[in-house]
Parts: sequence; C-alpha cells; structure tokens
Amino acid sequence: MLKINQGDPIIEMQNVGIRYGQGPEILSDIKLSLKKGSFHFLTGKSGAGKTSLLSMMYLAQKPSRGIVSVFGKNVNFTNRDSLAMLRRRIGVVFQDFRLLDHLSAFDNVALPLRVCGMEEQEVKKRVVELLSWVELSKHMQATPATLSGGEKQRIAIARAVINRPDILLADEPTGNVDNDIAPKLMKLFVELNKLGTTVVIATHSEKLISDFAYPRLHLQNHGLRIYNANDLTGMGGGSHA
Amino acid sequence: MLKQAPIFIARKQELPLDSDSSSPFLKVMISIAVFLFAVTLAGVMSINAMLINWNESILGSLTVQIMPVNNIDKAKATAQTLAHQEKAIEALKTIEAVEKVSPLEDKQLQALIRPWLGDGVKLENLPIPRLIDVKLKKGATLDFAQTAEKLAEATPYASLDNHKLWLSKLISFADGLKMLALAALVLVILITSGAIFYTTQTSLGLHCYIIEILHQMGAKDAYIAQQYAKRTAWLGLVGGCIGVLLAVPTIFLISGLASQIEGGIISEARLSAFSWLIILSLPLFSGLISMLTAYYTVKNTLQKMM
Ligand SMILES: Nc1ncnc2c1ncn2[C@@H]1O[C@H](COP(=O)(O)OP(=O)(O)O)[C@@H](O)[C@H]1O
Ligand SMILES: [Mg+2]
Repeated sequence: MLKINQGDPIIEMQNVGIRYGQGPEILSDIKLSLKKGSFHFLTGKSGAGKTSLLSMMYLAQKPSRGIVSVFGKNVNFTNRDSLAMLRRRIGVVFQDFRLLDHLSAFDNVALPLRVCGMEEQEVKKRVVELLSWVELSKHMQATPATLSGGEKQRIAIARAVINRPDILLADEPTGNVDNDIAPKLMKLFVELNKLGTTVVIATHSEKLISDFAYPRLHLQNHGLRIYNANDLTGMGGGSHA
Repeated sequence: MLKQAPIFIARKQELPLDSDSSSPFLKVMISIAVFLFAVTLAGVMSINAMLINWNESILGSLTVQIMPVNNIDKAKATAQTLAHQEKAIEALKTIEAVEKVSPLEDKQLQALIRPWLGDGVKLENLPIPRLIDVKLKKGATLDFAQTAEKLAEATPYASLDNHKLWLSKLISFADGLKMLALAALVLVILITSGAIFYTTQTSLGLHCYIIEILHQMGAKDAYIAQQYAKRTAWLGLVGGCIGVLLAVPTIFLISGLASQIEGGIISEARLSAFSWLIILSLPLFSGLISMLTAYYTVKNTLQKMM
C-alpha cells in the first residue's frame, strides 16, 4: 500500500459530479484536495449535498463522473476487496449513528476489529479500554435501544475510532444530541486531529464551528467553495438557526 | 481477566441469520430433497448391481437353435436343416461382436442327448434342434434384438437363446430406468440449490442495512459470505440427517417388497456396504452443496453493490 506522509493529499476529487438514478446532478464539478493531517468543516444548508460528498469520501458511493482518489487510489479502478481494505482506514460517524440494534454496545464497537479478523483477546482489550474512555463501561452489554441519544452517539464515535483510522468523517455529529455535549465532542475531534488523523466534519450549524479557525468546504448551488481560516470573516451563508 | 468476563463467552451473530423466517423452510426443503435423493440413489445403485450380474451372464457366448425341418424323407429333411444352419452361420459371421461361430457336430449333439436317450440314437430320426455355439469377442457387447432380427431375416428356423434375449431386453429397460433416475437426482440437486439461491438472496435484501454497515466497517464480501455459508451448511447437514433418517426405513421397505417378486431376478439388488456408506454420508454432501451455493450466491449478489 502506498505510504502517505503528513501533508500529502489523502482525499482528492477532480470534476466530480454525483446524481441519484436519472435525477439531476446534486453536486457538479467538485474539485478538492485534502492533505493528510488536515481538519475541515463541511458546511451547507440541509439538502446541499454534504452527506453525498462525505459518502464518496468514505467509499460508500462512486461518483457519477470525475475522479475520486482516497489514499492515492482512484476508486473507479479499485477492486472490491481493496476498497474494503481502504475502508478499514476510514472511521465514519453517521448522522443517524447506524448502530446494530441486536448487538450490545460492546459488540457494536468491536465490529471494525472483528471484520478484519483481529484476535478476540485483543478485541476485548481495546474495546473495554475505549468504552471506559467514553464513559460507557457500565453499559457494555446494553443494546442501543435502551440507551440515550448521547450514549448511542458515544458508541458510534467509539466504533469510528476503535481501529485508529487515518481519516475520520463525521456527518452532523452534533445534530442529534444535547447542546452541552457538542463542545466536548469537538474537543475530542481536535484531539484526534492532533494525533495525526485527517478530520472532516459536516454540519449545518454555524454556532458549533464559529469558534474554530479550521478551513471550510462550503456547498452551495451544487458547487464547492473552499474558505481558508483567514477569509472566514466574510462568510455568511450556510448557517442554520 | 478472562474468567471474570462471562459476557464475552457468547459472541452474538452480526447477521441474525438464525432468526430468518426462511430457515425452517430451507431445513424442511433440504430434508425432503435428501430423502428423495437417498431413495432414488438406492434405486440406481441396486439397478447397477443387477445390471452387473445380468451383463456378466449374457457376456461371452450364446447359443442359436435351428429348428428341424419336417419332411417325410429323413435325408432331405436333414439336408434342409443343415442348409438353414448354414444360412444362420453366414448371418452370425457378419456381426461385429462375434468372434467364432461353431455348429455342434453330430457327435457333440449325440453326447448331449445321451443322458436321456442312451447310445446309438440316429439323429435324423429325431426332431431335435441343431445348435450353434457363438463365441463373442472379449469385452464386446452384442445387440441381442438386432441379432435376433438378422437371424430371422436369414432363416425362419433359427432362434436365439430365449433367456438371454429376454435378459438383454430387461437390461436395456433397466438402463433406461437408471438414466431416468440419474436425471431425477440432478433435478433434485438443481431444485434445492435454486431454493437456497433464492432464500439467500431474499435474506441479503432483508439484511442489507446490516450488510452496508459491515461493508463500511471494512468487511470483505467473503466475510459476509462465510456467515451465510456457515449457517446454510448447518441447515444442509441437519436437513440431510433428517432426510437420511427417513430414507433408510423406506429403502428397507421397498427392498423387502422387491425381494418378494418371484424369479430371483431382483435378489441381486441388495445394496452393498459401500452403497450404504454413500447413503449415510449424504448429509455431508447436502451440507457441502448448501454451503457452496450460499457462499457463491452471496459473493455474486454483493458484487452488484458498491
Ligand atoms: N439515496 C438518495 N436517492 C435520491 N436522492 C438523494 C439520495 N440521497 C440524497 N438525495 C438527494 O440529494 C440531495 C442532497 O442530499 P444530502 O447529500 O443528504 O444533503 P445534506 O447532507 O447536505 O443534507 C437532496 O436533495 C436529497 O434529496
Ligand atoms: Mg446529510
């Protein structure tokens, strides 16, 4: 596998368009290059295409046109097994968490380790450690249905980071939880970024990100504009009350 | 550390396949299929055993009879009978599978009837048939029906050994029956695999949410296919055991009925120990087929997703 150094592009898009079925293009002519170790917010009104753009990054969708490269690999010319190997290096927090309801918190968090065949003993060690770190040790055997929104979210985040991914993609991570959790969550993402993880966080909440001087990928009128930290002051669009 | 954690002992299935409503259906379906397969296979194997016996008994040689011509003039009658015999010999010699044709001499014929009529019998005075011994080439099979036809064309006085002719007809009938049974066996396998194919596809559709998540966590198609393969192999094994369990008494019942048929023809149909071994190992076979069908169904179906 190609080694990617700090500062090298880790996600690249050229002339990317995406549409669903025979519908119109949701996104057109997207061009971007995210460097390894970078931190970006992905903004835009709801329906602007944030989830669609992220889903190409986490390799759940291929572009309808254009080139998407992740870890230096063009996804159109990567076979299924290799895509699976790339996904193991990407952690995703879904807007709706997507936990498996019939599994315990422990088994949900263990999932990424088990699918790549890790020894059960090592799985236990890592999962117990991480669950205690997100303060869910007491609920290890609880199923998601019995947990609160905030607890479910912490499970989703634990599952996204258990495999120590190179890229962490979070889709409106603060959308479904109480407001007082949001700052803690942002702190966690910042910490992970400091450890070298490339982070992209999609949100339509201006309030959440206004304190952070990270660059923004802003979606508007099917296109993408990139705002760097120093030209953020002029930006108005993209916020939701 | 491990001992204090009983929670880890039972790892729950990521894909809850055991609760699929199609599981009991597949189990019953496989039981029936294996039952039919076992009974039909037992039939094929006993037909085979009979065929081997029958083929052996018609192999090698046969006898052709020439009926004596009736004429008041004994010398003329003998001459005519011998002429018919000559025609029959000519006809026999044209047959591919025939190696040697040797009519029995007067002396040999007299030797044959000596036990009944004693010495010094004049053959011309008796209406006994003349016999032709036909030796067949090694390994060659004779088409009895065609030979009988050829002989009849050559002379109406010639006739084939009746028993062997009848046996050869029985052999071709049994051969046909065997082919039919083999076709039925293939059909049973195809139908069962088809049922597994469709229930597996349905189940994949049912669990697509979980499968999508597993894929996102980095699961390869093989990981998912293995879970299906494991579950379906188990269903095939259990269903196969039930099927065989039902088939064994059925086979005994049928062979019991068959052995009551007169004539000893069917008595050679008893199944060998090897045949029983095959029948008893059918659950393994059905487990294997179920497993492979499920595995490749999943692989092929997932191929169409991103
Ligand atoms: N699976 C889908 N099928 C059809 N249309 C979709 C699908 N997913 C998203 N869309 C449409 O694409 C547009 C962008 O959606 P999405 O990427 O979810 O935006 P956002 O995450 O910014 O709210 C919306 O108009 C939405 O209706
Ligand atoms: Mg969205």
